[in-house]
Amino acid sequence: MSSALIGRAMLGFYFLAFFGFLFGPLIVMSVTAFNTPEYPQVWPFEQFTFAWFQKLAQDDNLMQGLQNSFIIGAFVVALAVPMGLAGAIVMTQVYAPARGLYYLVVVSPVLTPGVIIGISTVIFWKDVTGFTGAQSLFTGMFLATLGQSTFIASYCMLIFLSRLQRYDRTQEEAALDLGASRGQVFLHILLPFLRPAVVSAAVIAFLSSFENYNTTTFAILADKTLTTVLAGRVRQGMTPAISAMAVLIIAVTVAGAILYEAAKARERRDAAV
Amino acid sequence: MSADIDIDHVTIRFGDFVAVKDVSLKIAGGEFFSILGPSGCGKTTILRTVSGFLAPTAGTVRIGGKDMAGVGPNKRPTALIFQNLALFPLMSVAENIGYGLRVRGVPGKERRRKADELLSLVALPGSGDKRIGELSGGQKQRVAIARALAVEPQVLLLDEPLSALDLRLRQHMRTELRAIQKRVGVTFIYITHDQGEALTMSDRVAVMNHGVVEQVGDGHAVYDSPATPFVASFVGENNGVSGRISAVADGFAQIDTALGSLKGRAGAGLEPGAAATLFVRPERLRPAAEGIAAMVSATAFEGHLTHVGLSCADGHSLTMSLGRDIGAHALTPGAEVRIGYNPAEAIVLRQEAR
Ligand SMILES: Nc1ncnc2c1ncn2[C@@H]1O[C@H](COP(=O)(O)OP(=O)(O)OP(=O)(O)O)[C@@H](O)[C@H]1O
Ligand SMILES: [Mg+2]
Repeated sequence: MSSALIGRAMLGFYFLAFFGFLFGPLIVMSVTAFNTPEYPQVWPFEQFTFAWFQKLAQDDNLMQGLQNSFIIGAFVVALAVPMGLAGAIVMTQVYAPARGLYYLVVVSPVLTPGVIIGISTVIFWKDVTGFTGAQSLFTGMFLATLGQSTFIASYCMLIFLSRLQRYDRTQEEAALDLGASRGQVFLHILLPFLRPAVVSAAVIAFLSSFENYNTTTFAILADKTLTTVLAGRVRQGMTPAISAMAVLIIAVTVAGAILYEAAKARERRDAAV
Repeated sequence: MSADIDIDHVTIRFGDFVAVKDVSLKIAGGEFFSILGPSGCGKTTILRTVSGFLAPTAGTVRIGGKDMAGVGPNKRPTALIFQNLALFPLMSVAENIGYGLRVRGVPGKERRRKADELLSLVALPGSGDKRIGELSGGQKQRVAIARALAVEPQVLLLDEPLSALDLRLRQHMRTELRAIQKRVGVTFIYITHDQGEALTMSDRVAVMNHGVVEQVGDGHAVYDSPATPFVASFVGENNGVSGRISAVADGFAQIDTALGSLKGRAGAGLEPGAAATLFVRPERLRPAAEGIAAMVSATAFEGHLTHVGLSCADGHSLTMSLGRDIGAHALTPGAEVRIGYNPAEAIVLRQEAR
């Protein structure tokens, strides 16, 4: 065997091992979702079935969690994307020497452990709602949305910042010179330029919210999301219904990733102009 | 419609750095006025002050007689064509041109009509639906001009708009810009560091250096009667010979140089003993029976002209440009010649104390 062939074989083996390591668990789990035994099992594959998906649909707790996850995700997108956009725009306007400090401050939620964010969200809002008499707001859904938004807004800001780096300020000046107001410059020039980044940020924000556990498990209080219900279930023992759930989540994630890549491709195409 | 511009003792500082020093310019309505100067001399800074992006540190800018202090760029009757054009890449050509009308609330149909009209004016009919990325450099240029004209400005400010184009296209666009200006009758302030561009297009030229306007005048004045040594050497080719004034009389000055005592028209402020420079253009030099002794060092044939490099006493070198009718072919490198000129076509300028 020539050394080139050995090299090729080793590379092939490496790829197999690498992708096996990455996707093996997902594939195994997906297969168990379609197998009949009560405990998740790949081999022997007894019979192909959709029964676990039906069982899943009848599982009110899981369904409630799933629904909550979608609702929280939607609100997080609505909150974190504008906050991230505002943070990024402020960053470009801040007095240049203070930029480093500002950056550190607004990025810090990303670096803070999610657990801490979850706990501090609860403590902070317990006091705030207590003092202001707005106790009705002190719900898991509300807190989870706010807690997640803090660090997800920072993610969004990073996405906007990288796009803003390629922003040509003279376009703003050109629009102003032609008679546009500041507001019109924002709407007609800056926002269209940032549109691909808005799409990216929304997708990332939703996915991060949907899969979040660390912050949510504390902030959710008596409510539930998909991840908190699943965590409870796994402790009681696995069933193929959870595998079925996983298949659905993988499908959602892949769809999200494709959407995200499409947005990136559009961004690249616009940048090429 | 066009407005006159009065730049009245304007100074602009960036921190400690003075970019524009006490500049005063009066530009008449409908005039094609150029500002010419080397890179970094403050041309863009003046233009940004007129268009409202910079406030003068001292002095006043008036447009159509109105003081512009506190009036934002979106409220001034000016339109600026940026050094990099700054077209909107996400909008079509027609949307770019119509943008100024859009923010004024003009309906879409009307904007499109106006855009098509302007596209014919700048000789790009039917390109309204193209994307900016599909245009060539010269076409982008024209779209930028059309976009600026769409808002019917009283003053059009152009910041080296042709600098990115290749020579042939640049020459073509010069003629076209001049024609457009004649057609619309708007006041143009045109910035360039290309002296040929300034001379061919403008009614008047201001020559700037280091934030100071050194001379204002029409092309002939600036070319034939430069006011300062900087103007003499920056505008067009020139031979400069430095020395000391020995006599001034009847509008002529006699100057002692390494090449002998030379004579030329006297500039302002000359007195015997002053350090000065005599400038004579290459095309004003001639082989002569009497005159400066020189040796031909090189010749360069350029079609209608032949440029002859001459080395003279004291390591001085001069350039002489001869037309075809004068026997330039006899001047081969190494030949000894004598060079003369008509003193009325040379000028002696006082060396500035800088
Ligand atoms: N915002 C600014 N802050 C500090 N200095 C500046 C600023 N803008 C311009 N300058 C300085 O002012 C001087 C004049 O700049 P300006 O842009 O007017 O030059 P210019 O004549 O247009 O040159 P060019 O032909 O290269 O465009 C330069 O030395 C430049 O460094
Ligand atoms: Mg400039």
